[in-house]
Amino acid sequence: MIQNRKLELITLVAVLGFIIVFLMVSAGGTHEFAGSDNVGSEKIAELTGHSVDSFAPLIPQWQPPSGEIEACLFALQASFGGLVLGLVFGYWLGQRKSSSTA
Amino acid sequence: MHIMEGFLPWQWCVVWWIVAIPFLVMGIIELRSMMRKDREYLPLLGVCGAFIFILSALKLPSVTGSCSHPTGTGLSTMCFGVFITSIIGAIVLLFQSLVLAHGGLSVLGANMVSMAIGGPIAGYVLYRLLKNTSLNIYLTVFIVSAVADLVTYVITSFELALAYPAQVGGVVASFTAFFVIFAITQIPLAIVEGCVLALVFKYVIELKPEMIIKLKVFSEEQIAKARGDSYSLPKTEVKS
Repeated sequence: MIQNRKLELITLVAVLGFIIVFLMVSAGGTHEFAGSDNVGSEKIAELTGHSVDSFAPLIPQWQPPSGEIEACLFALQASFGGLVLGLVFGYWLGQRKSSSTA
Repeated sequence: MHIMEGFLPWQWCVVWWIVAIPFLVMGIIELRSMMRKDREYLPLLGVCGAFIFILSALKLPSVTGSCSHPTGTGLSTMCFGVFITSIIGAIVLLFQSLVLAHGGLSVLGANMVSMAIGGPIAGYVLYRLLKNTSLNIYLTVFIVSAVADLVTYVITSFELALAYPAQVGGVVASFTAFFVIFAITQIPLAIVEGCVLALVFKYVIELKPEMIIKLKVFSEEQIAKARGDSYSLPKTEVKS
């Protein structure tokens, strides 16, 4: 049994380790945890000597009006993935159950 | 790993679009032939795609004090190859550039080359190298997923470095700067992603080992060994 659950344990340890590292890093309060995309954009601004605002989109694009709406859309994206995942694994489980009783 | 809309000169946008298009065309051809012939693989494609959707929506904090998201392309790369993965990746990136303003249509080519094409290629090369060794297959899945994730960010750094060479030190110096921002942040995320995808792969071969064998992702012996039980594959009983 323990042998069978080895991978689950390793994953759990990795996730817990990740959380602990995050708590330790964030405890200092010196980091703002901005997206690396934005940090990258700031670096571009620094290298070119232009301000971040001077980079206008080449193709006009819709911006989520607020962080909440952005979070909502990201959640939508993830939940869509989760839905498909649950559907397929449920389908496979059901398929196996019905084939073993038949 | 998104390059933001407007942050890449249009010449480079064109270059990366040109690089990306052949992969998309190949991907569509492969997907169409799969839809026509082997529809039984569609649920597995759904699982692989679902993970790209979920993982690339999660922005996780990292040791460097900034946030970034994993890519989830490793699983799909191993099961379906680079071309089909590039299509799923492109769909996610298109969604994010249209409704989330992460990336954009002009930089979509560059973002596809890093996340949907470059990362998967690196993962695929490693997968081919490790496939026929005696390495534990979960470890192979872990390595392939983590590397596909990490290389995505290395390529983003490279794309930005080419477009914005530093005044002192040129492309190399600016690659180092972007590498620190993107790739170092990504290392812990890549490790977690590798573990999670290895775990998912374990559940896939618990439920549908015959599918993985048919796709020749791993051999029958490797899978029987990884399942670690006296399981014999249901070749005859299911068919009859």
